[in-house]
Amino acid sequence: MEAATRRESHDSVFLELTRSICPVCRRDVEAEVAAREGRVYLRKRCADHGAFEALVYGDAERYVAIQRYNKPGDRPLRLQTEVVDGCPRDCGICPEHKQHTCLGIIEVNTACNLDCPICFAESGSGHQPDGYSLSLEQVEQMLDAFVEAEGEPEAIQLSGGEPSIHPQILEMLAAAKARGIKLVMLNTNGIRLARDPRFAPALAEIGVHVYLQFDGFKDSTHLAIRGRRLQEEKLRALDRCAHAGVGVSLAAAVERGVNDDEVGEIVSFGVGHPAVTGVFFQPVTHSGRFLDFDPRERLTNSDVIDAIARQLPHWFRRDDFVPVPCCSPTCRSATYALYDGEDLVPLPRLVDVDEYLDYVTNRAVPDVDVRTALEGLFSASAAGGTERTGERLECVACGVGLPAELQEVAAKGFMVVIQDFQDPYTLDVRKLRKCCVAEIVPDGRLIPFCAYNSVGYREQVRADLSATAGNGAR
Amino acid sequence: MTGGTSLDEILGAELGGNCASPYDSPAARWLLGGELHPGGDALTRRLAHLAGVRRGWRVLDVASGRGPTARLLASELGAEVTGVELSPESIAAARREAEAAGLGDRVRFVEGDAEALPVASGAFDAVVCECALCLFSGKAQAVAEMRRALQPGGVVAIADVTAELEDLPASLRGAVARVACVGEALPRDGYAEMLGDAGFELVASESHDGALAAMTERVEARLRVARMLLPADSSARLIGEAIELVGEAQRAIVAGSLGYQLLVARTSTPARRAN
Repeated sequence: MEAATRRESHDSVFLELTRSICPVCRRDVEAEVAAREGRVYLRKRCADHGAFEALVYGDAERYVAIQRYNKPGDRPLRLQTEVVDGCPRDCGICPEHKQHTCLGIIEVNTACNLDCPICFAESGSGHQPDGYSLSLEQVEQMLDAFVEAEGEPEAIQLSGGEPSIHPQILEMLAAAKARGIKLVMLNTNGIRLARDPRFAPALAEIGVHVYLQFDGFKDSTHLAIRGRRLQEEKLRALDRCAHAGVGVSLAAAVERGVNDDEVGEIVSFGVGHPAVTGVFFQPVTHSGRFLDFDPRERLTNSDVIDAIARQLPHWFRRDDFVPVPCCSPTCRSATYALYDGEDLVPLPRLVDVDEYLDYVTNRAVPDVDVRTALEGLFSASAAGGTERTGERLECVACGVGLPAELQEVAAKGFMVVIQDFQDPYTLDVRKLRKCCVAEIVPDGRLIPFCAYNSVGYREQVRADLSATAGNGAR
Repeated sequence: MTGGTSLDEILGAELGGNCASPYDSPAARWLLGGELHPGGDALTRRLAHLAGVRRGWRVLDVASGRGPTARLLASELGAEVTGVELSPESIAAARREAEAAGLGDRVRFVEGDAEALPVASGAFDAVVCECALCLFSGKAQAVAEMRRALQPGGVVAIADVTAELEDLPASLRGAVARVACVGEALPRDGYAEMLGDAGFELVASESHDGALAAMTERVEARLRVARMLLPADSSARLIGEAIELVGEAQRAIVAGSLGYQLLVARTSTPARRAN
């Protein structure tokens, strides 16, 4: 047999060299980002556990094109750690990080009144021997650390576990509000909202925005993701919020083959419900507990965007979704829509967002105030229906010459967000370094969310807190 | 534009009307979102690039409107631009905006007719005409005038709507369509042929149908927003009809019977004409 005389071509376009971790032993490994057959994959190899490949973006053309939305980040006022072992081992925030924190998260407990088959936080009963429940004082110290790092923090979310079952959750939310944090959110499954008629009015009084787990309508969706039929409780929770005047963002964990056929219906339901001001879609993070999955066929942002455009073609198309510039533009996309109960028009059809948010071409923008407002809207700190969002939409509407009446409608902008959080399969330190969503931990560190879930920080913090609390799990 | 203007003031009775200079109406400007031709500044840059416009070139902008192209050519490429425009209101606005942009010494605007350009023969290195030739009834005369204004070897740069009229539905050939650049547009090969007949040699031609589609989508979005705001009376019905018309245009673009073209052609030099 003759030796090969013709060179063979690689099967993919090599795009980036980066670093990730082994999903088995979590050690740092080099990784390649490459485009193959129109999709983008992260590939890596661990000396002990072999090769891994995960789909990170379902549309290679868009992945490359939207890099121009990569806005130079802001430095936080205060850093908490030094560079010792290199990214992603020094989190908290270290001097090499490229962005401040748009959204802070505090997980006030590990206990939960559900026991979901999917939970990146590994909450619920019987899965972990330990657990914790933070005191009000601890949360206040963490809020202070956040204020020190940010000056005037834009947004915070209290999460868990299930934060609504913490006995001092209202005091904690009020403490965040008292520190001037503009958007204070409660991340909840809605069970307490549905069962306790006093809870929604109490949240309204503090001025809390609810981030409600809402994965779809099918029984099979509820059973697969939450392990229980929850539809009635979700609807009751929403109606109580509407009655109390509490704004709600629906947050859907989306898994391929489970509920990716329901994304359009979730949006149209939200548009029609008086309490709902936006929808956040999160492809399932394969960290903690998750269903069997193939990392090469996981759901990505572009897949969710495609699904929305396919399921609601009269309202949306793919380019209505704007890559969010504060983080890595492939991590989050969002749109706002003006709506009146019958029709809905996405904001990017009224203003040429590219003219303002292209940071690579670096041309002079037509109107700096409009750019600032758009940056505020397309940010991890934004939610639909809030006062800040209304002001910014008004500024954009006015800046591009929309009539006065429209500025009033604009204040009702409905927000649709798609956010792909990284997990041990997809972690890419290039994106992580610009992450602007951080877990605030009791020692005052602000740990980028995807590092917290992937690298081992979550496990460390949980172990430390469980030990100091003297087995304080509820 | 001011944020305080009401929709009624903006749209007024003009939606169904057909005024002499349609692009000077607040309704048209609002519907087009300030971008009066497909592709906006990006496509103007592309056209100027194809034409090779350079610093110090004397450029004539035919049907210059409120002067965005003239300002772009002057500020980004260093050209000396003369705009010719029929509407005195547009001329006044163009002068104001050029002055405000600090370009008063490099752009000037003259009131005049494209079919009898008020400029000296051979005075320009390039003539630009964006999305306007389709509106002229005497197109051949306008092109002859452009040629007269150019020095030997000068270039004409045209961006325009193309229409295969026999393939279009009747609605798109009506009175409103004339205002919307459709009714009098030439088919795909029409502009190149006309330039050839006038003694130009084609240098470049590009199709940008996507830019036209994007523009119709913007107009549709603004019409839909207007419909949200208006009570369900006669003006809302007019808007509904306009939305239908835009939908027809979008289908025609997909079918290939409406499009948008950039063309650059050079005057044949006397030496070559002798051959």
